[in-house]
Amino acid sequence: MRQTLPVWPLQALGAPTAPFVGLDALWIQLAGTWCNLECAHCLNASGPRDPWLKPLAPAVVRAAIAAAERLGVREIYFTGGEPFLHAEALSLIGESLAVAATTVLTNGTLVTDDVADALAALARDSRYSLEIRVSLDDIEETVNDAIRGAGAWAGALAAITRLVARGLLPIVTATDVTATSISTRYDRLHQFLVSRGVPRPRVKLMPTFALGRHSGGSAERLTETALHGFDRTTLQCSRARVVADAGVYACPILAGLDGARLSTGSLEAAFRPAALYHPACVTCHQSGMTCANG
Amino acid sequence: MIETLPDYRRVAVFGGVYSNAPALAAAIADARGRGVDAMYCLGDLGGFGPWPDRVFPLLREAGVRVSRGNYDESIAAGLDDCGCGYADPRDNHYAQISYVYTYEHTASEHRAWLGTLPAHQRVQLGPHRVLMCHGSPRRVNEFLWESTTPDGLLRQLLADNAADVLLCTHTGIKWHRDLRGNGHAVNVGVLGRPENDARTNVWYTLLSAEPDLRVEFVPVAYDHESHARDIERVGLPIEFAETIRTGWWTTCLENLPARERARGRF
Repeated sequence: MRQTLPVWPLQALGAPTAPFVGLDALWIQLAGTWCNLECAHCLNASGPRDPWLKPLAPAVVRAAIAAAERLGVREIYFTGGEPFLHAEALSLIGESLAVAATTVLTNGTLVTDDVADALAALARDSRYSLEIRVSLDDIEETVNDAIRGAGAWAGALAAITRLVARGLLPIVTATDVTATSISTRYDRLHQFLVSRGVPRPRVKLMPTFALGRHSGGSAERLTETALHGFDRTTLQCSRARVVADAGVYACPILAGLDGARLSTGSLEAAFRPAALYHPACVTCHQSGMTCANG
Repeated sequence: MIETLPDYRRVAVFGGVYSNAPALAAAIADARGRGVDAMYCLGDLGGFGPWPDRVFPLLREAGVRVSRGNYDESIAAGLDDCGCGYADPRDNHYAQISYVYTYEHTASEHRAWLGTLPAHQRVQLGPHRVLMCHGSPRRVNEFLWESTTPDGLLRQLLADNAADVLLCTHTGIKWHRDLRGNGHAVNVGVLGRPENDARTNVWYTLLSAEPDLRVEFVPVAYDHESHARDIERVGLPIEFAETIRTGWWTTCLENLPARERARGRF
């Protein structure tokens, strides 16, 4: 079944491309698009029912981690959907940490005391850093939950509190859901976290993208003209690959889309240029953003 | 053509200087006292400190062989920012203040000299082929932190560059990884600011071929109070002086990985 899926010839997409220069980051779409929340701006339209991108089998994850280690990966990210819905999330995160620094992107609602204890133990026992990124879009519960769903704000705050209590330093990730400036949003979130007992807040801001539930029908595409003189190796897709159901993809937020699929087989087979074919590529180019931590 | 590399038994390697001339002078004196065969610096001569031009004569007079860092590239080319690789707004705010000040206080002849520096240096240390770079062999501003640099990556970097020992700086915190028969990687630390550990000294690295590789991190004490006062006197942010005085990083720390961040105060 997997072998019948298309791997698009780049020229067929008619899009400019980004070269592949090395595997800095392996992204693992662990939960597929299975999530206990259904956020209005979700990049891949994740939700609790019939995920269009299936969770990964543990064997696929293990094979990807082993291949990535052999290929010199620098860091590994677990995402979804909500990774902690996956029954083997904690053990797979542990296996990943044996190989490289590992980051988990979570909405926090499933980070119970037991999960927080387990994460703290993994962080303590690993030679590499474990990063937990908790999504919190606004300091106001009503604003946040209008986008992320009832209970999302409280769940994220509880997770942050549990992690901080165990000596972990979660990175609070906020998507731009208001019209305020970056510095204003940053300072506001920073001050809020201090007020909630987070002594050393770490904040990552993300723009919204024209895809998933927020696609908005944008028709803007990158062109060779728009990219003239631009160093394409600064784009995330020149240094990352994503293992998800049914293939290896160029970009974490385009995982599962045919145009971003670079291989239906090995990770190494996806080490080739990526087509900059999607409206979301315009946002990456303009904002210089990366899904990575730094 | 086969390249003939300098062949030494003991060398001193300095990381980022960050316009900290008194620390550089102290490190040079210490290394001389230990009878090293040669001294190297892995770049980022400017930043944070009050008198960027004062480091150049020290390096030249001591015969320190310097390769270029991201700061040096930017200053030489007159770029808009330091190219440090920060992503956080607060980090970038302070980095920009530091960069603009450094650019404006670096003489044109020194800017031109920065433009002549090599990206990498190689040396033969006994049986060990040593490659020196700033961030990593593949990117001048790549951060090779101890907790985010896996063995698999180090093995690949060494193999790709035909080296047994990889030396880098850029992060500001030293570390050494023995890859158990597959080489060594050493982040040599920096001279420009302390290590975010409440100590005011800075560090450089001694490498010896005995014939096995011996890596020794050397603490360097200097008149840090005078340096901090100079930072304040020229109007640079008091946060820069606070770091020099306390040993805790106050700026440019948002990109620290969890492990390294947890060790700090802020």
